[in-house]
Amino acid sequence: MTAAPLPAGLSEVLARGDVWCGDTLARLPEAGIPSGHAQLDAELPGGGWPRGGLTELLCERPGIGELSLLLPALAALSVADGWIALVAPPWQPHAPAWAAAGLALERLVVVRAGRDAAWCCEQLLLSGGFAGILAWPPVGLDARALRRLQVAAEGQPTLACLWRPAAMAATPSPAPLRLVLAPFAAGLSLHILKRRGRPAAQPLTVTLPRSGKPRALVCPPFSLPAPRSAAPQAVA
Amino acid sequence: MARGRVLAADAAARAAGVRDGLRLSTALGLVPGLAVCERAAGREAAALEALACWAGRFTPEVSLAPPATLLLEIGGCLRLFGGAEALIAAALAACGSQGYTAAWAAAPTPLGATWLAWGGAAAIHAEAGGFQRALAALPAGVAAWPAEIQARLAAFGAATLGDLRRLPGAGLRRRLGSGVVDDLLRAWGEIPDPRPVFVFPERFAQTLELPARVDAAAALAFAGQRLFAALAGWLNARQRLVRGCRLGLIHDDGGTTELPLRLAEATADEVRLGRLLREHLGRLRLAAPVEGLTLAADDWVARPGSSGHLFDLPPAGEGVMACLERLQGRLGETAVHTLGLAADYRPECASRAVPPGNPSSAMAVPAGLRPLWLLPRPQPLAERAGRPQWHGPLALETRPERLESGWWDAGEPGAPGDARRDYCVAKNPLGQWLWVFRDGEGWFLHGLFG
Repeated sequence: MTAAPLPAGLSEVLARGDVWCGDTLARLPEAGIPSGHAQLDAELPGGGWPRGGLTELLCERPGIGELSLLLPALAALSVADGWIALVAPPWQPHAPAWAAAGLALERLVVVRAGRDAAWCCEQLLLSGGFAGILAWPPVGLDARALRRLQVAAEGQPTLACLWRPAAMAATPSPAPLRLVLAPFAAGLSLHILKRRGRPAAQPLTVTLPRSGKPRALVCPPFSLPAPRSAAPQAVA
Repeated sequence: MARGRVLAADAAARAAGVRDGLRLSTALGLVPGLAVCERAAGREAAALEALACWAGRFTPEVSLAPPATLLLEIGGCLRLFGGAEALIAAALAACGSQGYTAAWAAAPTPLGATWLAWGGAAAIHAEAGGFQRALAALPAGVAAWPAEIQARLAAFGAATLGDLRRLPGAGLRRRLGSGVVDDLLRAWGEIPDPRPVFVFPERFAQTLELPARVDAAAALAFAGQRLFAALAGWLNARQRLVRGCRLGLIHDDGGTTELPLRLAEATADEVRLGRLLREHLGRLRLAAPVEGLTLAADDWVARPGSSGHLFDLPPAGEGVMACLERLQGRLGETAVHTLGLAADYRPECASRAVPPGNPSSAMAVPAGLRPLWLLPRPQPLAERAGRPQWHGPLALETRPERLESGWWDAGEPGAPGDARRDYCVAKNPLGQWLWVFRDGEGWFLHGLFG
């Protein structure tokens, strides 16, 4: 009895576009937007933040550098004449900081959506004119609304990011890319919960550029100059 | 109804035996509950002018033939619409959505087309031969000549226009006057027939009377669309784009509600205006039932010329400005804005909201480190052992930056006033990056580095 013939055509089969190997990342139809962090790009399908699909960013509390992670990509989109929308942001955006990050302020739209955040996102996605949409949906956003948003995002050339609390990590979501962000020494630790392709093994860390140096400064006591109202009196 | 006689009746009345020319008393005897409307010549003329405005979408050369005929010169715009059939199909469909039914004909001469349309031709006669045969077959009664002339024609035995044309011209002129013969020559295109061109009004203001009172705001969208269609025609004919218009709702108690519609970007697209109106109507509560609508366009700009693309596909979706406009319609004008810098060192004054579409002024960005988020008002922080606390003790990451400004609006209501603050970047044990300041009253949290 002869041994079974070797699967000679295996490499050909593997080279086909519709055959997917379990240990590779999916190839997206459109290249991602480089995130500005090489180690993160290597882990994201498409080599960067994806267009045409929701990206969920889950973090416990704001202010840990979650937006700074996205700023290089947003700045690149804005420089290429793209419109960026902030839907239902948690606080008011401080224009000088966004301008310093390289975003064109006349193409940065703030939408105070209130309860209509999901509707606004859907409309903005469907309009097809936005390069980036960052949304802070209300906490009780249900799976149906998420599904609608994902359908609206498909095929659009838009980077669509939803900020959601870390407690939602256990709840399934139709978003094809989900990341949990946590603070780490001088940057962020990212755990990719879900992506197209093989699951991520371990969290990766990203250093964020901060101009401040991590050292405890003792603030000098607050001193006020002489009250200004004294000056005119002195002149008089 | 005019002068006590029935002028036109609907199908139900006709089924009950009401005929044109019947006395009103007879008609009321036939149908006791007959709804009778007096003919209003002024309103008919206004309706014809409104329709002429609307027809501006098809051709810039429109002329009126009162009381109820509109002449469109389409020879020059056949290619734009893809042929006479396509143009006429579009015109009839649009005419239907305006709420009118039209009898139509297309012919080389205006008078010939008018007679063919009155005769119910509903056909396109592009070449002279077929057109003249169709014209010759029309009964002589089609032409709007006085009854006395019609009677004499019948006495001649001339039943069709073709019969009439075969009679010798000089004799006909002697017996019937020049009017009839000249009309025949004009219809056949043998003498010129110049028509005064309808002048599109300088300002657009139209009124639409609703067939029934409307209680629900959302139901007004359809009627509004008719006005927008007329506006789009007027804009097209005058080569303009509208930036804002006012829709007035006339209530049955005589009051009026003004509904200003603002557009982020000038447009002549009636569909876009209709979508914007629906968003506004969704929020509107009617004070009283509405019996009419007025539309006035007072904010318009000249349309900039642009060449169409030969190969590029139009972008999918409605585009940025149209989308923002609809969001503004639903959420309110101030809820959607872009950002701009303001020349003020105080952080709460350094950003301003700019309506979308306006360029923000070019300005230098301040050099210091600034947070992406600013709290609506500074939040006082507790201080323990000389260190501010917010979810744990804060570690200061930078040296203090002194901001001292704003003496000019101290004491004014709503203004932050004179500020003298030392700002630092701080980090708390949870890893949040904060922007805190200290002034004479203690520590405050003012922003977050996202």
